[in-house]
Amino acid sequence: MSNPDDEKKYWLEEPANINKIFYAVIGLCVLVALPKVLTLLDILLFKQGRFELADFFVFYTFFGVIGYVMMILLAKKLRGFLMRDEDYYD
Amino acid sequence: MISLSSQFPILVALAPLMAAPFCALFRGNTLPWAMTTIISAFSFYVSLSLLFSVVASGPISYELGGWAPPWGIEYVVDPLSGFMLVLISGISTGVLLFARDSITKEVPAHQLGLFFAAYLLSLTGMLGICITGDAFNIFVFLEIMSLSSYALIAMGERTDRRALTAAFQYLIIGTVGATFYLTGVGLIYMMTGTLNIADIASRFPEIEGTRPILAGVGFIIVGICIKLALFPMHVWLPNSYTYAPNIITAFFAGTATKVSVYLLIRFIFTVFGPNYSFAGLGLTDVLMPLAILGFLSMSAVAIFQTNLKRLLAYSSVAQLGYMVLGIALASEAGLTASVVHIFNHAVVKTGLFLSVGCMFYVVGSTYLKDLQGVGRRMPLTTFGFALGGLGLIGVPLTPGFISKWYLVVAVLEKGSYFGYALVAALMVSSLLAVIYIWRVVEVAYFRPPPEGTETQEAPLSLLIPTWIFILGSFYFGIETSFNVGFAKTIASFLMGGA
Amino acid sequence: MIEGLNPGLILILGALLVPLTSGFIRSLLILALPVLALVQIYTLGLGTWGHFEFLGLSLEITRVDPLSRIFGTIFCIAAFMGMVYALHVKDTIQHFVALIYIGSAIGAVFAGDMITLFVFWELTAISSVFLIWASRTERAYRAGMRYLIIQVTSGVILLGGIIVYYQDTGSIAFDYIGLTGIAGCLILIAFGIKSAFPLLHNWVQDSYPEATVTGTVILSAFTTKLAIYALARAFPGTDILIPIGGAMILLPIVYVVLENDLRRVLAYSLNSQLGYMVIGVGIGSELALNGTAAHVFVHIMYKSLLFMCMGAVLFRTGTVKVTELGGLYKSMPITTVFCLIGAVSIAAFPLTGGFVSKAMIQSAALNGGLFILWPVMLFACAGIMDHSGLKVPFFTFFSKDRGIRVQEAPMNMLIAMGIAAFFCIGIGVFPGLLFELLPYAPTYNPYSFGHIVSALQLLFFAILAFMLLIRFKVYPSELRSTNLDFDWFYRVPLKRLILAIGRLILIVWNWSLGIANDVLRYIIGLVSETHSSGKIMARTTASSTAVVVIVALLGVLLVFLYQFQQ
Repeated sequence: MSNPDDEKKYWLEEPANINKIFYAVIGLCVLVALPKVLTLLDILLFKQGRFELADFFVFYTFFGVIGYVMMILLAKKLRGFLMRDEDYYD
Repeated sequence: MISLSSQFPILVALAPLMAAPFCALFRGNTLPWAMTTIISAFSFYVSLSLLFSVVASGPISYELGGWAPPWGIEYVVDPLSGFMLVLISGISTGVLLFARDSITKEVPAHQLGLFFAAYLLSLTGMLGICITGDAFNIFVFLEIMSLSSYALIAMGERTDRRALTAAFQYLIIGTVGATFYLTGVGLIYMMTGTLNIADIASRFPEIEGTRPILAGVGFIIVGICIKLALFPMHVWLPNSYTYAPNIITAFFAGTATKVSVYLLIRFIFTVFGPNYSFAGLGLTDVLMPLAILGFLSMSAVAIFQTNLKRLLAYSSVAQLGYMVLGIALASEAGLTASVVHIFNHAVVKTGLFLSVGCMFYVVGSTYLKDLQGVGRRMPLTTFGFALGGLGLIGVPLTPGFISKWYLVVAVLEKGSYFGYALVAALMVSSLLAVIYIWRVVEVAYFRPPPEGTETQEAPLSLLIPTWIFILGSFYFGIETSFNVGFAKTIASFLMGGA
Repeated sequence: MIEGLNPGLILILGALLVPLTSGFIRSLLILALPVLALVQIYTLGLGTWGHFEFLGLSLEITRVDPLSRIFGTIFCIAAFMGMVYALHVKDTIQHFVALIYIGSAIGAVFAGDMITLFVFWELTAISSVFLIWASRTERAYRAGMRYLIIQVTSGVILLGGIIVYYQDTGSIAFDYIGLTGIAGCLILIAFGIKSAFPLLHNWVQDSYPEATVTGTVILSAFTTKLAIYALARAFPGTDILIPIGGAMILLPIVYVVLENDLRRVLAYSLNSQLGYMVIGVGIGSELALNGTAAHVFVHIMYKSLLFMCMGAVLFRTGTVKVTELGGLYKSMPITTVFCLIGAVSIAAFPLTGGFVSKAMIQSAALNGGLFILWPVMLFACAGIMDHSGLKVPFFTFFSKDRGIRVQEAPMNMLIAMGIAAFFCIGIGVFPGLLFELLPYAPTYNPYSFGHIVSALQLLFFAILAFMLLIRFKVYPSELRSTNLDFDWFYRVPLKRLILAIGRLILIVWNWSLGIANDVLRYIIGLVSETHSSGKIMARTTASSTAVVVIVALLGVLLVFLYQFQQ
């Protein structure tokens, strides 16, 4: 096993680059939300779902963000109840 | 023009009968054996063609000497007798393939001609019993079979002198059985004036319940059961099987007692009629307790045996209990189970006795203490024995499972707690079978062979016939259309024909 | 090839040759067998073969129809991948049981009657446990034992269901059964255990992480999917399956977030994916069943791919615990790429297989008017994005570098992963090829503009949330832990209860055993007193005695018969 210091510097190891990825994701989010925003501004007619709720403008993004965060937080809460030692059953 | 095939019913028994005297004149070990094998194979061929023609066009009736029944003797091939003919001649042929190398070790060369002559006579007797439609003719064939079998058993005396006493005891008891049978037939003849089975059966309803008929039924049933070695009339069997030459044991285990079971079925279902036998005579109450006690007690006895042949002989008595139980259930399902078991047990037991014959050929003894480690010395033979043992126990995929399955189905048909108790008894008996087979397996595989012995298989001439029976038994355990199919045909024929 | 031979038997019979071979010949053999089986499937064409009558039951050993054919096809492909992946393994037992196991799974798929199904069903259980035991650790042994008990129980319940079904209908044909009567319930429970219904699911997460590196890859592909096939065959359109499937999708998600062992993470997410298939079967429309079959196909590809990646990591580093991994992209770049492909595929990005098959099931749900279920499925999409799409690759290959420096995965593993990755992308780009194989005529186009945009919105915002949570350190840190699941009930209180009852029973048992022992001893004593050599029942009596017995019997019989005189 070689010493990590001798290795070449990976692109991902620069904190600045990680920020770049972060901003890139935000940019992508804006891009995919664009059709919806344009519909809202009556520039474009873009129907997503087959029923009302799905056409609510934040529906998918809501699911993406809020649903996700809720899930993680719920899991964190449950951890207090569910977690045991690694060798609990042994 | 009279074609040869129209004479098949008489030829099947006549061929071995005519060949026997010639056989007795031959010298050397090959010639008598070859003749016997060819004749037996011929009988097998004839039996098969008879069976096929029965299947195709119904029962065959053959008038001996052109005398019309009931005055003349009639030979009848119906599904049951055709099935028995195929079974007997088939087993005989298979055993004979084994005989050539096996028998020279046990019988002196100058007696071989006589030996095979007796063998042919015995075969004649068995085939004749199955094919004849005449009650007195049955007696004649029964005596042909018995007398020759006394001689055959006694020929085991070179290996063990006790063969002589065993044969003598068989002679006494067998003669008593034959006499009883003859007495019974005489009483029936007195009342009906006929000896033709179909004729007796047709006149039977008029004379049911008369005192001579009751006595006749009693004598016939006991007479047949002696020949069948039904518990507790089995005393002759273990000794005879133990001390007879190996191929004779294999041959008789597959055929002789089965012929007696055939006779029992023939008289109960064809002559007396199933309704009268069970409703009018209560034969269930007579046969069933003996059958149950038989398979329980005799399986237990088998566990304690120290001689492998004797162990299997007791197991045979127990298995006969299954067959009689099937008959005693007085139902079509029971009869099916019984006939299936006749066939399956014949194949399995013959295979087992042949593998014992292989062991005797190499080891020179059938005592368990001499067979220690035989699994390592004779791997193929012992493996064959173990597979056959599975069949005896009734493990799925073996024929033993098929017969037990049908027997359990037939027993459960009776319903009620009695049926469950019977199933429990069958389970106990199977468990006992596991134990006695396990004892052999343990001795053969888990004990070290005696020092200085080497791996030495029996010659192929012995191994191949043995494995034919073992593999055949698996064939009939998986592809059951022949044995079960025929058993069903026979059962519905006998129940419906009454 | 042999007419009508069940393709599964090719693998089973071939497995018997494995112990006789070694080296190159063995490699050739184990790779050839799945190919041969696949060839057999397509040379047979559609139809049924191998009709037997056994004890009055009509067996049908081989039945190829469109439904069984697609499952058989994917099983053969997965078998081939698994075998490539396991080529470096020198353990004869593992190759042998893997082939028996795969063969019996394929055999079960092509079984035309339920007895044949049952035989193969139990065979999968018994053979697969050796893949777990092959780890040769105490933990694996115990997990394997639990696995075996549950699997065999499923088989026993199935057998019970078959018997009842046979009594009710007189048939053992393996066709639509439906949830009627006890028979239907028993069979559904049996299938439910194997397809890891909620509360019956713990064997998956319990056992898969304990199997060998290659064992898990092979295990994960067949058992549960066989059960899905059985459900699709016997219970299409059974309403109860829809809520069951919904619960199945949701429940595992929480555990996935918390779980530390990445193979267990994948086992939970597998469970969640199975929920989609169960829903598809429950809807039962042609589109739904097509979607289920497609999802099975795609799912096996990306799930195997992910398990293979984790297997490679385990093989090289000796661990798949989140708390011990990180920064592996430096050492195992190719594996990283494959893992990302698997991740985007399971998360159902457009142009991946997962997108196509999930879209079919979701559309079928909407067509069926299941408006409550639909957001559940969407929510699950976000969840799956998290656990398999982000957590697995992130924590393994990126996150904090823990200084682990290892070699890239062996070549055979990379090839196997490459095959799976090829299918993941290939199906996404050319879904028409997969549609050709589906049981019903396909009428579905997954790539509408609205659908693509919606999916991307959902996925990118989930990624955004993930990044935010990581950035603000809200994301639950991984801890070495055991997370209680439903199996707690049977691994702790039930175990204690059983132990307590066991002690009680033991006391009663010992007591009654003592009595039974005495009774039995007495009977055995009596039997050996009377039946052993030379004793009364086994004695060779004198002929005169024998004849006296016979005559006495005759006398009794005559007296008995005398009562019937008329």
